[in-house]
Amino acid sequence: MKRRNFLISAAALTAGVTIMPRLAFAAEGVIDVYFTSDQNVIDFWTNVVKPKFEASNAGITLNLVDGGDGAGVAAIGDRALAALASGTDPQADLFEGFDTRVTVDGIAKGLYVDFEKAGLSNYSKINPLAFDIPTNLPYRGSQVLLAYDTTKLDPASVPKTWADLVTWIKANPGQFIYNRPNKGGSGGNFVRRAIFEANGNDPTKFTVDNFTDALATETLTPAWEILNDLAPSLFEGGAYTSGNTQSLQLLGQSAVTMIPAWSDQALSAIQQGVLPETTGLVQLQDLGLPGGFTKLAVLSNGTNKDAALKLADFLLTEEIQSAVLTELGGFPGVSWDYVSADLRAKFADIIPASIPTFPGGKWETAVNDGWYRAVAPNVDPAS
Amino acid sequence: MTSTEAGALAPAPTQRKRPIGLLLVAVPVLLVLWLIIWPIIAAMIQTIWLPTPDGGRALSVSSYEFFVNDPYSRANLAITLWTTGVCAVLLLLVCLPIALYLRFSNSKIAAYVQGLAIFPMFVPSIILSFAFIRVLGPNGTVDLLLNSVGLPKIKSPYLTPWGPVIGLVWDNIPLTVLILLSGLGNVSNQAIEAARDVGAGRIALLWHIILPRLSNSILVAISFAVLGIFSSFTLPYILGPAAPEMMGPFMQRTFRDLFDPTNAITQAVITFGFCILFGLFYVRSVAKNRTP
Repeated sequence: MKRRNFLISAAALTAGVTIMPRLAFAAEGVIDVYFTSDQNVIDFWTNVVKPKFEASNAGITLNLVDGGDGAGVAAIGDRALAALASGTDPQADLFEGFDTRVTVDGIAKGLYVDFEKAGLSNYSKINPLAFDIPTNLPYRGSQVLLAYDTTKLDPASVPKTWADLVTWIKANPGQFIYNRPNKGGSGGNFVRRAIFEANGNDPTKFTVDNFTDALATETLTPAWEILNDLAPSLFEGGAYTSGNTQSLQLLGQSAVTMIPAWSDQALSAIQQGVLPETTGLVQLQDLGLPGGFTKLAVLSNGTNKDAALKLADFLLTEEIQSAVLTELGGFPGVSWDYVSADLRAKFADIIPASIPTFPGGKWETAVNDGWYRAVAPNVDPAS
Repeated sequence: MTSTEAGALAPAPTQRKRPIGLLLVAVPVLLVLWLIIWPIIAAMIQTIWLPTPDGGRALSVSSYEFFVNDPYSRANLAITLWTTGVCAVLLLLVCLPIALYLRFSNSKIAAYVQGLAIFPMFVPSIILSFAFIRVLGPNGTVDLLLNSVGLPKIKSPYLTPWGPVIGLVWDNIPLTVLILLSGLGNVSNQAIEAARDVGAGRIALLWHIILPRLSNSILVAISFAVLGIFSSFTLPYILGPAAPEMMGPFMQRTFRDLFDPTNAITQAVITFGFCILFGLFYVRSVAKNRTP
């Protein structure tokens, strides 16, 4: 009987906790920051940004919330839009790693702060390559590179061009895996690198505005052929992990020898021991794997809008931008002239002057849908 | 009326209570109408009342036609049905023996078995997924154990359709065991003893005495599990293959990554159509249970 009683009360308790109403109000002086990025970025904010900002701005604290993924924060954005319409408190102030285009009508209704008009003192320092639209504030960059197990692959013979990489993957079946392009940028940018390869390695062919269905078919179809050609030589004959972290886990478990990985995520994984110290990192020399800049959005109806703007400005200072390089393993969002001179000298040889980028918007949709239909099922499109 | 005062008075309070009872029920019913039924109807309308090129809207079933004629979407629906079916069968095979053991065992170990069987309820599926990769994934714990005694590695179910099956079965064990266990409460010890007295063996007991009384609970348990599995998201997303994908990840991807709400809602309505079938099983068995 005791067992059964315990069960009943436990079940009731579980039900009670789930349906308990969650009433929360944004507090004055507490900036609610929602993240789409992975844990290493949140750690960076917890250990570097938060203490430094709070020390120099007495009375303001940061509440860092992991929004899970883009969709998680997009839901908060939708809620904020509803709050804007009803004039209530959105309980959020700043979104990290977020594209304001995602909230339908959000920009048109003025949900997000226009940074061109916000008067940030450091706004002019931002790398001109990083600008997107005025409601997105780029504050850090990152690039995908190849992470590999040096105990299985000699750094001297590691592939350094796309052609070498393809040869290596085919010569070592089952030792390479990349994640689904919509579920994390490491696989996504590997797929985009294949698209560049199929189109003469010319990133300028793709811009946000030049998308047409015909051009997409013309440029993407040969890329799907390249990737389909690789599929049988991938892990398990064409398996794709569902995220950046899962790829790192497979490399860490020594199940594969090489993966594409974000530079910042791979570096912090090595630091924390998630990946062994024997992990090597290499960038392709003919054309690097693409990367991109991570953007912030500030809600115009947030309780702490002014404090959030102060925080956004603070992120662009030399202090934080240098920490992005040293602590996070990412690239600064500001031009290289605005990081400390010794860091500039130290990283000059390692980091390429330009990061190839691939446009978002309709191109992104075409890549995601096309890959799932043409590559993921692992079928021969000709058959 | 006056002669049997006690009998005449008794119905009066129930008459007066009736509107209060209805009022008490009204809140949840209205909430269900507002938060569940209305969104479902709105979604259905949204999928057949589509925008036309000239800016208006017109009745059209083109999104459903697309789903039916698209081999990729059909493959996703097929894998969802396959996963659900396999999980339902496996759940029954795993949970029925556990429930029988817990019902009829008086040993101390039964408490621990029950604890173990209920444990998955308290493990969030995201944690389960990553633990699964650690244990059953390539070079995971199982491989390490096998390797230490000189056996070959297993063929890992990770990123194959069997990955979500194993995860979902484990995740659904507690609910299924609990429902079966409550159903086994209907089987009286006297009935069992009587059958034993006339010489019924274990199989005969199970087949003629226990299962007939349990069939209702089995239906309820399976329809509950199936409803959850059909629209599950986390486990198939993390453990399953990239394609074909189950309806949960497929809908989410269509909505969030392809920015295509019309097709995502169409997929949701189709999923809902299948779930309502399983739901009817549940409603039917509950109704059957009520009428004596």
